[in-house]
Amino acid sequence: MGQNSTTILVPIIKNKVDELLDLLAGINEGLAMGKPPLFEELNIIHFARWVVIDHGKSWINDPVERTPKLLFVVDYDGKETDLLRKLCTDSAELLDKVYAYCENFPILEKRTPDSRTAFLTNNVIKDAAVYIGAPGRTVRQIKDESNLRDFIRKYLDSTTWGNLSAQAIHQTIKNEVSSNGNFAFLDQKVKIPSVNWLGLIFLGIVLLVLLPLTIVLLLLVIVWVLVLHIFYERKDENFIRKRSQLNDKFMTELEKYEDFTSQNQFTQLVDMKEGKFRLFTIKAMFSLSKSLIKFVFVKGKLMGIPTIHFAKWVMFEENSRVLFFSNFDGSWQQYLGDFIDNSGWGLTGIFSNTKVFPKTNFLLTGGAYDEEHFLAWSRNSELVTNVWYSAYPHLSIKNINNNTKIRVQLMKSLSERQAAKFLKLI
Amino acid sequence: MTTLELNDIQGYLIRGYAHMMYSRFVYLQITDAEATKNWLAKSWKTMTTAEHIPKKDQISSTHLNIAFTYSGLEKLGLKTDNLGSFSREFRQGMVSPHRTRLLGDLGNSAPENWRWGGPFNKPIHLCLMVFGNDKEGDDDIEKDKIVCINYYELLKAHFAGNGLEEILFIDGQTQPENKEHFGFRDGISQPIIEGSGRVGPKDDVIKAGEFIFGYKNDFGVYPDTPLIRAEQGNLNLLPPDAEGSGLKDIGRNGSLMVMRQLEQNVKTFWSFMNEKTKNEDHSINVAESLKLAAKVIGRWQSGAPITLFPDKDPGVISDINDFGYAKFDKDGLKCPFGSHLRRTNPRDSVDDHGRKESLKLSNQHRIIRRARLYGEIFEGSPVNNVPNGEVGLLFCCFNADISRQFEFLQYTWANLPKTKELYNDPDPIIGVKEKTTAGEEQNFTVQDLPVSRTISDLPQVITVKGGDYFFFPSITVLRFLSTI
Ligand code: HEM
Repeated sequence: MGQNSTTILVPIIKNKVDELLDLLAGINEGLAMGKPPLFEELNIIHFARWVVIDHGKSWINDPVERTPKLLFVVDYDGKETDLLRKLCTDSAELLDKVYAYCENFPILEKRTPDSRTAFLTNNVIKDAAVYIGAPGRTVRQIKDESNLRDFIRKYLDSTTWGNLSAQAIHQTIKNEVSSNGNFAFLDQKVKIPSVNWLGLIFLGIVLLVLLPLTIVLLLLVIVWVLVLHIFYERKDENFIRKRSQLNDKFMTELEKYEDFTSQNQFTQLVDMKEGKFRLFTIKAMFSLSKSLIKFVFVKGKLMGIPTIHFAKWVMFEENSRVLFFSNFDGSWQQYLGDFIDNSGWGLTGIFSNTKVFPKTNFLLTGGAYDEEHFLAWSRNSELVTNVWYSAYPHLSIKNINNNTKIRVQLMKSLSERQAAKFLKLI
Repeated sequence: MTTLELNDIQGYLIRGYAHMMYSRFVYLQITDAEATKNWLAKSWKTMTTAEHIPKKDQISSTHLNIAFTYSGLEKLGLKTDNLGSFSREFRQGMVSPHRTRLLGDLGNSAPENWRWGGPFNKPIHLCLMVFGNDKEGDDDIEKDKIVCINYYELLKAHFAGNGLEEILFIDGQTQPENKEHFGFRDGISQPIIEGSGRVGPKDDVIKAGEFIFGYKNDFGVYPDTPLIRAEQGNLNLLPPDAEGSGLKDIGRNGSLMVMRQLEQNVKTFWSFMNEKTKNEDHSINVAESLKLAAKVIGRWQSGAPITLFPDKDPGVISDINDFGYAKFDKDGLKCPFGSHLRRTNPRDSVDDHGRKESLKLSNQHRIIRRARLYGEIFEGSPVNNVPNGEVGLLFCCFNADISRQFEFLQYTWANLPKTKELYNDPDPIIGVKEKTTAGEEQNFTVQDLPVSRTISDLPQVITVKGGDYFFFPSITVLRFLSTI
């Protein structure tokens, strides 16, 4: 089953923002104390968040008066229509509480699964690019495989293995697992996604065969980047603050929501630079990211970043604004610097098209590679995530991918060498 | 190639003062800022610099360095805008709800229970670091102690007159073989600051800006140095911001210093090792207990790295530090991924990155460690594990970016249990919590053949007793501070 991500954005009723914020704070507190949200029972939601935007802080002192809005972002298994339908039926109580503060939510007498679903559906905004760290893994599968791994680990620790061959141990584990009723799911075969080399080679061949066209294409890109540099980048207003110069109060507010478990959230809102040229550039970058996500970034790393479960970019209000969401392991602030090397080109290619970014040249240099300013920019354009839910806060994305490997290898017949490799995973 | 202005840098940042086996860290409050400034106007000349003195007999028998907390600089009279140009971590100090969470200072390590630096303690304004060495004696700590204490008494006589009030002091000592209280040789691995004159393996050479303001760091940019944003004092003394903002730099040749008093529970440490490796008749298996402890630390008690000496301690005191993990220990079979050494500096083997990339990443999180022992010196072992009274480590380190360096090590690599492919493994020395939540495990995994082994239920072996973040200014800036 495929994973999906949906973003819903609705205006909040005038003067109701504070009440809504209180409600969200209450929900978030409940989550922190281990009280699961209603929708946990659906067992299909990986991550979810509610974020109030356009209330209070405008990060570049934008003079435009904005209506506060409520963002709902959810990463889940299956189809959007199914998810919304389920939410509006089984979690209606929670939804009603939250959306009662929002414009155009059906009035009390008219609230039915249908009317709620219609409301949510009407307010869905399109994703620009979605990344999934463990493609194809449902919540169910992630939890099952985690239990399987823990079971095998305990079993391995329950005795000593002396001089048994790896193959023999593999077989013993297999027998032990098979005789346990909890792991019937192993009958279902799953595949580990792999980099689509064939596709890449094919693409390479096409580019080679159409060499003249490729050259033209390359030249076009070069000209494009030159134009971008000469007519746009040099006139940009750049982000020049360092981390020490960020607003203390706001930092404290962000920190209130961070580092409770080994997973964290990140929500970022930035404004597009004006003009078609920038819009085209960012869209081209999103297309490139999308293809790479589909064919290359399928093994738990987004542009080399090995800690992201789900992430995505969304454009809204006629492509004038960009949202970025991420659910990840560790601390964004502490970690971000580590990714600059591998992912600086991607982050710069995308975000240098948004307003007040660290100085960038030729779409590729400067920008994210300017560590200090980039970290400050990233933190400064972050938003408080009012409610955040994770279905498996104790698992890292590496754990999840490793667990699938264990599951797949467990069910195979392995050579001695393969079996030894399998044992290393546990 | 950078050259450091060694005569402007306070010495402890560059040199460990290893020959000075006795030291006293005095934590003070400023009661009269004018008097303290007057004192600074003279005393900046007496601070030990990093300048290399080739002739041993010309090295002073006492050393002195000084560092300020945020509230110390405030008390001294640095203007709000200037204070505001320091990093957030320094300004907030070690204690805030979020930082406490990051550092894992919970339960018995919570700041509420601290001796100093906590919310119930008198705020610290500055730390004087007083060192002594009896030049006649040869590594004789008792003699060094006399020199150190005499010097301290001399300074102390003027505290009141200089507007200073002593809050507490902690005596830091060095054991002759540089072993900490669990019995392991410490202080072996240090980054080599480019331009400091020290030489060593090239993988260990780190850009000065990682530790000292005013120089470029490993990212090729200048660290976020505190700048003068509101004019005060004799600004002519200060150098300009190397980055070219046109502002005066009060960070240059200075650093940020982290101090944490960490009580070591030697008995818990060794009882755990003994218990997990005991013979069938429940007697202690000394060799196996030592080996497990070496796996936990990453070095044998002698200091020999377990990745190079996987079977047993070669015995002789070792300073071997030119090694990696990628080539001969990729799977952690010798030095486990979860060991204190490997996680606080994974060297050329970070996650699944190649050698070069790994080194680069590791080197973005280095610190200069300057730990000293407190309490009665004790060398723990499987059979000797009850020290006389409280013992511990007065942990101290230097870095230019507390968030990316010290806090990253403590939080991301030590406290988070997910390093490498691990699941439930915090750093067995500095990352274990006193209490776990329901269902939470704290394990140490020993990668092994045919299968790895889980050493479960790690006990907490250190308790935080105090701590603070300090600014460790240059000599010039000390002089400047006397004019504000
Ligand atoms: C009581 C607490 C601690 C004890 C007993 C301890 C013990 C040790 C020992 C025995 C070594 C090996 C000696 C060496 O390589 O120099 C070491 C290395 C190290 N420790 Fe600790 N340590 C403690 C706290 C800390 C803390 C709080 C940090 C930082 C957050 C830290 C970071 C390091 C680093 C970076 C290394 C060097 C790793 C390398 O470069 O290979 N230690 N420690």
